[in-house]
Amino acid sequence: AARATPKLSNRKLRVAVIGGGPAGGAAAETLAQGGIETILIERKMDNCKPCGGAIPLCMVGEFNLPLDIIDRRVTKMKMISPSNIAVDIGRTLKEHEYIGMVRREVLDAYLRERAEKSGATVINGLFLKMDHPENWDSPYTLHYTEYDGKTGATGTKKTMEVDAVIGADGANSRVAKSIDAGDYDYAIAFQERIRIPDEKMTYYEDLAEMYVGDDVSPDFYGWVFPKCDHVAVGTGTVTHKGDIKKFQLATRNRAKDKILGGKIIRVEAHPIPEHPRPRRLSKRVALVGDAAGYVTKCSGEGIYFAAKSGRMCAEAIVEGSQNGKKMIDEGDLRKYLEKWDKTYLPTYRVLDVLQKVFYRSNPAREAFVEMCNDEYVQKMTFDSYLYKRVAPGSPLEDIKLAVNTIGSLVRANALRREIEKLSV
Amino acid sequence: ASSDNGTTSPVVEIPKPASVAVEEVPVKSPAESSSASENGAVGGEATDSSTETVIKYQNAKWVNGTWDLKQFEKDGKTDWDSVIVSEAKRRKWLEDNPETTSNDELVVFDTSIIPWWAWMKRYHLPEAELLNGRAAMIGFFMAYFVDSLTGVGLVDQMGNFFCKTLLFVAVAGVLFIRKNEDLDKLKDLFDETTLYDKQWQAAWKEPDSSTVSSKK
Repeated sequence: AARATPKLSNRKLRVAVIGGGPAGGAAAETLAQGGIETILIERKMDNCKPCGGAIPLCMVGEFNLPLDIIDRRVTKMKMISPSNIAVDIGRTLKEHEYIGMVRREVLDAYLRERAEKSGATVINGLFLKMDHPENWDSPYTLHYTEYDGKTGATGTKKTMEVDAVIGADGANSRVAKSIDAGDYDYAIAFQERIRIPDEKMTYYEDLAEMYVGDDVSPDFYGWVFPKCDHVAVGTGTVTHKGDIKKFQLATRNRAKDKILGGKIIRVEAHPIPEHPRPRRLSKRVALVGDAAGYVTKCSGEGIYFAAKSGRMCAEAIVEGSQNGKKMIDEGDLRKYLEKWDKTYLPTYRVLDVLQKVFYRSNPAREAFVEMCNDEYVQKMTFDSYLYKRVAPGSPLEDIKLAVNTIGSLVRANALRREIEKLSV
Repeated sequence: ASSDNGTTSPVVEIPKPASVAVEEVPVKSPAESSSASENGAVGGEATDSSTETVIKYQNAKWVNGTWDLKQFEKDGKTDWDSVIVSEAKRRKWLEDNPETTSNDELVVFDTSIIPWWAWMKRYHLPEAELLNGRAAMIGFFMAYFVDSLTGVGLVDQMGNFFCKTLLFVAVAGVLFIRKNEDLDKLKDLFDETTLYDKQWQAAWKEPDSSTVSSKK
């Protein structure tokens, strides 16, 4: 900001982080390390969020995650087309490369603990609402219910004054509501945790499956992901939410032989944002993670982007406040938004286009699976997924890929026309 | 993905494991119903062998997950046309009866084994005729109008940048707008692709009083 915000006298900048998921945990840690008085409010410490739980390789390094929180290392990914053509898309992976599968209760707790160790205060409480400040530098008043274990389940109502707020409270964010951030479209993801017999589990040891087709989802994919001692079978959709159970049944049917005899141990569903909220920050309140709407199309990935956005937002605050010595204003937070959009908007855009082109009909999905059989495609996909950077491809291969893709699409569409002729 | 502080339940209602609502779903094929008959268990364990009536796609020419090309031979050459028709029929069947995947019987048929000229012959020629005809007509009349309006002759037009652009627009137009509905389709496609960007840009568009005041 152009205006010089004044130095704070005899206290540090106070920032509240609402929500203790990957976004909140990462934000709180960075804030605390940056010398800011940090308060993290989380409603349920052992919350197992229903979530695919896949993290890219670069997250392990960037967030310094210990290897024992990763349940499984997926090195084989199977894409299965509507006509059941299965393509292995892990062939180009190098020996040390894998997609990590985590349980959210484990990852979230770990990141929170680390934030606490760095000096953040973690409060088990439910954020209710906040009073907006009258002046540009007067504090926000947060209202929350604290559960300290002594007063039982009801908790005690408390208030707290802070200088800035990071909203990391997920899809139904109350922080977003309180700054009138607007809504986003969301997809619903439905998932069943199924414990399958040991001999069937060996197949899913290091393998995940993705099913595409109008039967499993009109606009997303169905999946079988390996978890610590069971598999998660699920599907998602934006356009036909009412039919989700039908899609789930179809997903189960497609994977039937491989999960035969399994017992459903848990059924879960959760909303996935489709695009960011119209407003991602207002004055000294910023949204990160799902609350902001940072989930990619096509792959539906959110954990990494949540943690990353939390950290980026916290860095902007640390820098703007000169390690907690100065008051901040909206201009400081805008820097986070600017950097975020500059770094990740291309990724979001590409995945949006991919989803639109390849998930729109069965012929397109057939072409998509056909395309995934190409080693160059696999290499590029995994490079960009695992390391979150768009590697420059070789122009010759790019042209070959374009020609092949068009070829696949043309063939699939030709077959579609033939099918239409049949149904008349 | 971050946890929902401040909410006791997500927007989406979570059904209990016991009621995995299999009964409500319209049962289409016996393959589905056998798994649907078990509540809470997948596929079914004990009753499996007796009730299992999985419908699989069957065709004498479909062998080991691919079309047996030998059976499609006609005068010593593969009759690709009927391969295309057969595959279309199979896919249609699968759309109505989604099939369970199996690791023992993999589907290995790849449409790219059908040579490009077989596709061309089947789909492209009739349409190409039409497009060529259209392009020639438009080209001729455009050349005529440009000549009559500006006096630039056909040969000179070829060296003119403006005319080249016009030619390009005409060709692209003929390619992309084959039917009248195509115009609407293109417009929808454009709206669809720009929508996502608009959603992202929304954060930057709002007239924010606080930023304005802080910039002073």
